[in-house]
Amino acid sequence: MAGETEPIPASPAERRSVIRAPQNFVAGLALLAIAAIALGATTDLGSGRFYAVGPGLLPRGIATLLGILGLGLVVGSLLKDGEPLGRWPLRGPLFMFLAVAAFALSIRTVGLAVAGPLVAMISGAASPETRPKELLVFAIVVTALSIGLFRYVLNLPIPILIIPGILVL
Amino acid sequence: MTDLLANLALGFSTALTLHNVGLAFIGCLVGTLIGVLPGIGPIATITMLLPITFNVEPVGALIMLAGIYYGAQYGGSTTAILVNIPGEVTAIVTTLDGHQMARQGRAGVALGIAAIGSFFAGCVATVVIAALAAPLVKLALLFGPAEYFSLMVLGLTFAVVLARGSVPKALAMILLGLLLSTIGTDLETGAERLTFGVSALTSGIDFAVLAMGVIGFAEVLKNLEAPETRDLEKVPIGRLLPGREDLKRAAGPIARGTLLGTALGILPGNGAVLGPFASYALEKKLAKDPSRFGRGAIEGVAGPESANNAGAQSSFIPLLTLGIPPNAVMALMVGAMTIHGIVPGPLVMTKNPTLFWGMIASMWVGNLMLLIINLPLVGIWVKLLDVPYRLMYPAILVFSCIGIYSVNNSASDVMLTGVFALVGYALLKLGFETAPLLLGYVLGRLMEENLRRALLIARGHFTTFVERPVSAGLLGGALIVLAAAILPAVRKRRAEVFTE
Repeated sequence: MAGETEPIPASPAERRSVIRAPQNFVAGLALLAIAAIALGATTDLGSGRFYAVGPGLLPRGIATLLGILGLGLVVGSLLKDGEPLGRWPLRGPLFMFLAVAAFALSIRTVGLAVAGPLVAMISGAASPETRPKELLVFAIVVTALSIGLFRYVLNLPIPILIIPGILVL
Repeated sequence: MTDLLANLALGFSTALTLHNVGLAFIGCLVGTLIGVLPGIGPIATITMLLPITFNVEPVGALIMLAGIYYGAQYGGSTTAILVNIPGEVTAIVTTLDGHQMARQGRAGVALGIAAIGSFFAGCVATVVIAALAAPLVKLALLFGPAEYFSLMVLGLTFAVVLARGSVPKALAMILLGLLLSTIGTDLETGAERLTFGVSALTSGIDFAVLAMGVIGFAEVLKNLEAPETRDLEKVPIGRLLPGREDLKRAAGPIARGTLLGTALGILPGNGAVLGPFASYALEKKLAKDPSRFGRGAIEGVAGPESANNAGAQSSFIPLLTLGIPPNAVMALMVGAMTIHGIVPGPLVMTKNPTLFWGMIASMWVGNLMLLIINLPLVGIWVKLLDVPYRLMYPAILVFSCIGIYSVNNSASDVMLTGVFALVGYALLKLGFETAPLLLGYVLGRLMEENLRRALLIARGHFTTFVERPVSAGLLGGALIVLAAAILPAVRKRRAEVFTE
């Protein structure tokens, strides 16, 4: 939260570790990876000349700078104590992504009437506090309300319910 | 001066039609409704509500959007005061004394003074925008590509300095934003860049998608992780109108906060975030008894809230005059304007004066609305806070998915948003702040375009950026700002400002 991250007093075991700022170390590696991917993907784009800059010049230039910063973070993390990596609980991100993906896949194939409750129920699994029955009722109410609002009040072209060959709403 | 009055009159005659007042009212109402939900900042609120403006004509849509924006802002302050959860960075300061006031049974007065201060700030900022718009537009017409490029460099430098957290990490986020902005078909050569063969990427990433994923959804994930710690011990609201003593104490801070906020909001690169922090620090310094701060001092709510609102409003200036969005929220406004066929920039004022001045006048109308709706409806907002997060976040996701889908009627946009949610979450976990990323993304395309154009005009000589005096001045400013950020003394001061 504060400007410069205060070095956290490392436990004796951590102090022996080569990596003194694990968060920055991984952050640096991530930047290096992004830079490498971007450089790799733009090799076939021309740089052009400065009076007629090509499409590849900027992406490559930016990626190079990112790589340098990443390298700096990695080196710095070996020299100076910093934040630990912290916990990475995966339940939240996983179910949330699945929920959003389910919406993306179902909105055009079966419509909002199914996609809405689907998002709500799958994302519900992201929290340990969820009560499935309560959520199901709530999800149906929310979906019904949004169908009324977006489709009928606002006239947005969102498919409501599609049953192939039988019904398109 | 007469010009100013005539322009404002034109604006008010547009904004005060029954139709547009109605739209401003709906915008403010739903903006507050969504903004008051804990953990939803203005960016998520605006993205979610964007679809409701689609079927309205441009002037009305912009008026509605401005209403949503102010509503979301004010909603954030309400949660800051009542449940100690700031809706966004700028409301953090409000939690300090605002929530203390609430615990002392003065929640109503805190909300009241926040609304009154914001209204005053809004009135002043509206006049300032109206007064500065014409001269700045004239200036903007003198700007060539080199000047635009240098101005954006200055803006990004500000963003680095204003980001909390380490300078290299903020710089990295700006660069990542710039890199993301190059994804898609190159406008000049038609070459596909960094699309990895994914057809959804050929036209680039929609800003709403990136912002919703990296900020909105990642925010939900962060909230999920923290067990529900809402301070919901029923705080009584108490009376809403501040007494004479309160008003006397708050008058000075409101006036100073307004000035600070307006001035900082004009800066490119999200100067508006600095307003509340600066105002709080100033009031604490001026106070006879600084120890009252943090224990429910009304000055600590009045000043920052006024600064917040003034900044929120004056940050429209760079957008409306130069076409450069100074922060992520304004970038969303660009997206919204483009949907309605308006390209923000110096030409809007001359080509479409009704829209331009109507929007400025509607800012004032929006602020008045907030004062009229929010205070009487405080009871309803409090009820909303009773909805447990376990039900709230699935509903947020449903509405967000619908919102994102409707922007382009595209299912792959929804999928991309999911991917960016994961990216945003990982960045948060690695200690990166995502606001500079968004700004980098927003300015990226404009910067590249202007850089290439400037070099083309100068036949490939980079010296054009320092030979043209205005451009050189802007770049010099950027250099000074960056140097200052790295100086140890300023670094310490900066840490202090943000921890306070």
